[in-house]
Amino acid sequence: MTVHLYHWEPNANSGKPMLALAEKGVDFESHYIDLLKFDQHQPDYLKINPDGTIPALVHGDRVLTESTPMMEYADDAFDGPPLRPSNPVERWRMRWWMRFFDSYFAPSASMIGWSIFVGPAVRQRPKEELEAAIARIPLESRRIAWRKAMFNEFSEAELAESKRRVLFCIGILEEHLTRHEWIAGSTYSLGDMNGFNLGYAMPLSQPDYCNDTRTPRTMEWLRRIYERPAAKKIWALGRTAMAQRVKFLERPAHA
Amino acid sequence: MLELYHSEPNTFFLKPLIALHEKQARFESRWFDADQLEQFTAELPDTIEARLHLEREGPLLVHDGTVISNAFFMLEYIAEGLPGESLLPDTAYDRYRMHASGQFLGAHLGSLVPILGCVKYTVPRLAAMDRARLDACLEQVAPVERRQNWLALLDGTYTPQILDTARERLKFPVTRVESQLANGPWLAGPRYSIADIDAFAMLRVLPDLTPSLVNSQATPRICDFIARIEARPAVRAALATSRSGTPERHFVPGVEPSRWG
Repeated sequence: MTVHLYHWEPNANSGKPMLALAEKGVDFESHYIDLLKFDQHQPDYLKINPDGTIPALVHGDRVLTESTPMMEYADDAFDGPPLRPSNPVERWRMRWWMRFFDSYFAPSASMIGWSIFVGPAVRQRPKEELEAAIARIPLESRRIAWRKAMFNEFSEAELAESKRRVLFCIGILEEHLTRHEWIAGSTYSLGDMNGFNLGYAMPLSQPDYCNDTRTPRTMEWLRRIYERPAAKKIWALGRTAMAQRVKFLERPAHA
Repeated sequence: MLELYHSEPNTFFLKPLIALHEKQARFESRWFDADQLEQFTAELPDTIEARLHLEREGPLLVHDGTVISNAFFMLEYIAEGLPGESLLPDTAYDRYRMHASGQFLGAHLGSLVPILGCVKYTVPRLAAMDRARLDACLEQVAPVERRQNWLALLDGTYTPQILDTARERLKFPVTRVESQLANGPWLAGPRYSIADIDAFAMLRVLPDLTPSLVNSQATPRICDFIARIEARPAVRAALATSRSGTPERHFVPGVEPSRWG
C-alpha cells in the first residue's frame, strides 16, 4: 500500500513525518505543496485535508493530518527500526519534549520566522490577492496567523516575548542534553526528529546564544542528527534556500 | 511505588485518577488544595519537566521516584505501562486518532475550559483570600507564564468580551467531538480508551459552564458520552476521591491560549 505524503519543505511540521518515514525505511510518494503559493488552501488539496494544513499522510483509505501523532503512526504502522524507546519513562519523556517543542518553542520561533521570511516572501503580491488567499483558509486560527504574517501585524512586544521564549528554550535544551544523550534519554527517537525539524536553525537565527561555545551539547546533537543518512535523504528533497541552510551543520574539514 | 499528586478530581486532575482506577492500580494519593495554592507551598517533586508544567497546573505521578508530568502523557504512561484492562486502541490508525485527539483537545479544551471554570468558581475564592498573602505566594511562582496565568484571574484580564470569545472558540472543538461521535460511541475506534478519558474530563463541566453550547438538544452525542463514562465504576471511584463533594466546581488555570491571537 503506497504512502502518500503531502508536504512543503523539510522543515518544521512538514519535515517531521518526512524524517520519521525515512528513519523507518518507508518509501513514500512525495507531493510537494508550496506553502508560499498557498497550495494548501486550493480545492484539490482541501479534498485531502479540509482543514488546509500541511502535512497530510494518506495510507490506503486513512488520512492523517496531525504531524506529531503522524510520527508515532510512522513507527507504529510499519516494519523497520523502532523510533520510540521501549522503556516507558523514556517514551514519556520523548512525548513531553515533543509537546514542549510543538506548543512552547515552535509558536515563538515561527512567529520570528514568519515575520522575517514568510511575510516578506508573499507581501510583494497585490493586497487583493492576499485578501483572497486569506478568505480561502478554512481554519480561523490559520486565517489569523496568515493575516499577521502577510501584513506584518506582529507587535514589538509579541516579537520580544517570542525571542525571550526561544532563548529560554535554547537554555533548557542545553541543560537537558547535558543530562541525556538524546531527547528521550539513551535512545535516538521521534523526540530528536521533532526537535531537529523545529529547531535546526536555532544557531542561525540566534547565533549569539546557540553556538559551539555556549551550547556545545545542542550543536553536537544537531550535527549527529544531520549526519544520519535519513536526514541527508530528506533534506535533499528541499527546493528552497531555506532547506539548504541545514548545510551549516557540516563539520569543518579539519575537525 | 506509585504516588499521585493531585487536587480535586476535575479537569487535569481527574484524568489520571480515572485511568488508575480503571487499571485497579494501587497508588498513594498525595492530595493538595489547589484552591489554597498549596501546590506552591507543599514540597512537590521537582524536575525540569515538572517545573515547566506544560499545562501550567496539573497532576504529577511519581513511579518509583521518577516524576511523570502532563495529564495526557500520564494517561499514556499508565495505559502502556501498568497491568490491567487495556485502555489503548487496538490498531495503529486508532492509536493515531488517540494521539491526535489528545493533542487537539489539549490545545483547545485545555486552554478554554479552565478559563471559564476559573472565572466562575476560582476567582470568587481568590477574592475572599487575603490579598497580601496571595500576592506573596504568587510572587514566588515560576516560570513566569505560570504566575501570569494566576495573576490574569485577579487583574481583570478576563473581560466579558474575552469570555464571549472563549465561548465562541469552544464551538470548534465541541462541534468536532460531536461529529466524531456520530461515527461510533468512542473517540478513537470501537473501544473505550484514554482518548475518551482525556476528553471526558474536560467536556464534563461544559453543560454547566456553557449551557447554550453543550446540552441534550444541541450536542446529544456529547451528553450521552458524558453519561456513559460517568456510569463507569472507575469513574465513580475517581470522582468519589473529592473532598468537597463538588469537584466540578474546582478549577486551576490551564494551557496558555495561542499567542498568535
